[in-house]
Amino acid sequence: MITQNFAYHAPTDLEGVVAALAGHDAVIVGGGTMVVPDLTHGRTSADVVVDLSRAGLSGITRAGDTVVVGATTTYTRLLRDGGEQVPPLRRIAGGITGGPQIRNRGTVGGSACYANPSSEVPAVLVALGAELRLVSAAGVREVAAADFFTGAFTTARRPDEVLAALVLPGPAGPFGYHKLKLAESSWPIATAACVRLPGGGLRLALGGVAATPLPVHLESDDPGHVRAEVGRVLTEPWSDVLADGDYRRRVAPVAALRAVRELRATEESRGIREPRSAQEGEPR
Amino acid sequence: MTAIGTSVRKADGEVLLTGRGRFVDDYVLPGMMHAAIVRSDVAHARITGIDTSEAERAPGVELVLTGERAARHSGPIPHFIDPAARGGRRAEVRCLAVDKVVHAGQAVAAVVARTRREAEAAAGLVRVGYERLPHVLDADAALRPDAPRLYDDWPDNVILHNHYGTGDVDAALETADLVVTETIRIGRSTTAPMEPRGYLASWDRFDESLTVHGSVQNPHQLRWMLARSLGLDETRIRVVTARVGGSFGLKMQGHPEETLICLLSRLTGAPVKWIEDRRECFLSGAREQVHRVTVGAMRDGRIVAVRDRIVANAGAVTAQPGWAMPNMSATTLASGYLVPNVEAELHVVATNKPPLNAARGFGKDGAHFVMERVVDLVARGLGADPARVRRVNFVPPDRFPFRTATGLNIDSGDFPGLLDKALKALDYDALRDRQRELRSLGRHLGIGLAFELTPESADGPGTFVSGFDVTTVRMNMSGGVTVLTGVTSPGGGNDTAIAQIVCDELGVPLSWIQVVQGDTDRCPSGFGNFSGRGMVVGGGSAALAARDVRAKIATVGARMLGVSPDEVEVTGGVVRVSGEPDRSVPVPDVAAAVLTRAFAVASEVEPVLEATRAFKPGNINHVPDERGRIQPYPTYSNCLHAAVVEVDADTGLTELVDFVMAHDCGVVINPALVEGQAHGAIVMGLGAALTEELVYDDEGRLLSDRFKSYLLPRAGDLPKVRLEHQVTPSPFTMYGNKGAGEAGVGGAQAAVANAIEDALAPFGVTVTQVPLPAPVVLDLIERARSK
Repeated sequence: MITQNFAYHAPTDLEGVVAALAGHDAVIVGGGTMVVPDLTHGRTSADVVVDLSRAGLSGITRAGDTVVVGATTTYTRLLRDGGEQVPPLRRIAGGITGGPQIRNRGTVGGSACYANPSSEVPAVLVALGAELRLVSAAGVREVAAADFFTGAFTTARRPDEVLAALVLPGPAGPFGYHKLKLAESSWPIATAACVRLPGGGLRLALGGVAATPLPVHLESDDPGHVRAEVGRVLTEPWSDVLADGDYRRRVAPVAALRAVRELRATEESRGIREPRSAQEGEPR
Repeated sequence: MTAIGTSVRKADGEVLLTGRGRFVDDYVLPGMMHAAIVRSDVAHARITGIDTSEAERAPGVELVLTGERAARHSGPIPHFIDPAARGGRRAEVRCLAVDKVVHAGQAVAAVVARTRREAEAAAGLVRVGYERLPHVLDADAALRPDAPRLYDDWPDNVILHNHYGTGDVDAALETADLVVTETIRIGRSTTAPMEPRGYLASWDRFDESLTVHGSVQNPHQLRWMLARSLGLDETRIRVVTARVGGSFGLKMQGHPEETLICLLSRLTGAPVKWIEDRRECFLSGAREQVHRVTVGAMRDGRIVAVRDRIVANAGAVTAQPGWAMPNMSATTLASGYLVPNVEAELHVVATNKPPLNAARGFGKDGAHFVMERVVDLVARGLGADPARVRRVNFVPPDRFPFRTATGLNIDSGDFPGLLDKALKALDYDALRDRQRELRSLGRHLGIGLAFELTPESADGPGTFVSGFDVTTVRMNMSGGVTVLTGVTSPGGGNDTAIAQIVCDELGVPLSWIQVVQGDTDRCPSGFGNFSGRGMVVGGGSAALAARDVRAKIATVGARMLGVSPDEVEVTGGVVRVSGEPDRSVPVPDVAAAVLTRAFAVASEVEPVLEATRAFKPGNINHVPDERGRIQPYPTYSNCLHAAVVEVDADTGLTELVDFVMAHDCGVVINPALVEGQAHGAIVMGLGAALTEELVYDDEGRLLSDRFKSYLLPRAGDLPKVRLEHQVTPSPFTMYGNKGAGEAGVGGAQAAVANAIEDALAPFGVTVTQVPLPAPVVLDLIERARSK
């Protein structure tokens, strides 16, 4: 039960949100799947709570060669309405096993801002090269996902800023993804998301294995190269009650290889790439 | 007989499905207040002082109670099973810690306020001063001479030290062809019912009586216990067990909050409700044990000796019966096998972890896990098929009743029959072919078998573990039947099955029968639910009482029909002349005659349409035999589990591919209810085998306190669990029925562990622990690879 007293604002537009944030160290609630339990258990204290649910920040729209995903777009909405424009996000929305309650309440923007090392969204945003649109009384700025996540549960968002939207480059090409978790109810232990870059390399991001998503630049799909690069970037693995850092260090390359393999298979099935030659071998 | 043996729907199914089931938290009384509990955040400390002043000034607060004040108004909580009565050590347990805390999470103060929110907020303002003491969390460490001691008046931390078994293990090991020694660890898991504990106590200051609504298993025993701890006359206390949303042993009484909430009501003069939150519920632990086991076997597969030195981590002492579970881990060895020489040494050890609480399996799960691992280790050592080694060692069907080396007198069974059924359901030989094929492709399929023998319906002399129970069957003037029974249901549905028995024995339709449980003012004094006893003794006593009432109905009905009583049958609510369906009289007319024509047509019977009977099953014997063995169980259900898994050797993840349980609980009263219980027990075992573990930090504080960190299986984690039934009637119960509902945990754990070892045979992995989450399995693989 939430025992603290706080001022509660539910502005009906973005200007209202910005105004409510000005001058306060407010707690922002998107869908509330993380923040409300934190308030209940006293892990977060608040003087001011700003609820985004009525601020009109939900929805998926095309804007030129980008797709703009409103910060309070829920997982359910991604699965139902417009999510086909952002297949990677729809993919993770479909893999969220918390049941309808979580999918109906949980938001992509909320997951990004909460910056839980175990969440799926941050690393996917990094892999996709997303920008996060932050709005405050001082104006609008867009921060690259790779710069947004500054530590476990911390981001580049200032207290006076609200995340209004995620801006994703479009149209989406093939996407490789792998999520490893201990059971349906488990947080992800390791995730890997990757896209092909012009020139044949890969942008891969690991999630769940470190305090922040880890970008991995890959020159090729070669399994040895993938293993080596993952090993090089993963210097301080995340550890929690479900799995220690040693385990994450061991399975991070496995997740990466499986994501790369899936991307490759999609490319081959779409005729974008030739089937792998026997010499390249099959990554496991 | 019509109702018995059919899958009658649960009597309360509609109420539950439409959200009208009334649980303890649904009771609201005028002037009701709410309690919140301040818990220790240190594992071992002296309390140097408690500052309640800020909490007392907080909005809505009625009372802040400390342990010191509580001790002036209440006494120690009596033990459900007194360790001293079993040759062990007792520690005084109070509803709030007085001078010292012995585990993190222990209740040290309580707040009563107008709302739960105000109570929780004020609880956060209570300041407790602690002088930290060294603590010990590991049971082996707690056994060392220099270990910190939890209880100042104990010489060590041992609650109970005992030896079990007969035969000459040393001599048998000398002659054995194969001797295997292994250390096997069982992690700490918990019951995690959907509904946590909760109590609503209402002290009536006018007639000085106490009414307690609670989510509990044993209402009469709770009444006795509260009378002791609160210094009240038992006749002034009424306990009503509201509908219970699962308990699995957790809600057997002895918890401090039972006394505490009643005391808070007495001190405030208001009804006080406390509903445990999920984090509090996770404080209750179960199962944690280490077994150092040595087994000897002959070349032909016969196991000739088992020695097991068991160290059980009981956590801090509680009045709840959980500490006694490891006893059953020792006495249930060597399960249903013909092992002539068994020696078990048991240390039940107190540590600064939260207390062990009763949990489904009640320690027998530990014996099954270890014994079934041992059988597989023997099979592996001999290069034999694990199914064959089981078959060689099973007590054969013609040897029952069979006295085991630890004294259990197994009533009946056909264990090879279960094995046949399970192997056939698996298509075992084809599955072994498939396993070889997949191995050649680098995939790791594993098959694990596990037998489980579940002693049920226990009786412990001088304890509340009682081997009988009592039921009243009462017919009203309309022919309607109220069944009041001393057994309770934790949600599994024994009320429905008891109604089925009364339906058949009394001869009235099911819809005329209402079963009342869990109210000490209405039901006869009984013992609630535990140990698979609901149908053995609740069903048995209901049958006896129903027969008594039926006899009167038959006598009077026959007279109304002008025939002798042995010429009539009572069925479907009608008394009719056998063979002459047209000559009948409705049971309600007979009931009315008994009550209104007592000096005329009903003059041959005593005009009470009610009977109260106790049922005492056979096969219980507390007189020690020449080797000191007692026999506290009437009947032993048994089952054979088969798990098929595929292990991802790169990540350690185990996928459950298939699961079969061949099950024998004797004559089945309601197959759907038995299967529901079996599914639940199996899944509890699968969770404890793979991902469920209570994890503490070095300071003894619980880390896995949510369902995101304590991972229960979800539907997507599970294969379709397939059940095969076998019926071997028990000669010692009313219908040949055996207990159902408890069997499943240890066998499922063992089958999965055996399957994982089998899957990883190419690496030479030996599985020596549960749970086996992916990180543990990957460690096993890497350690085996690096050898």
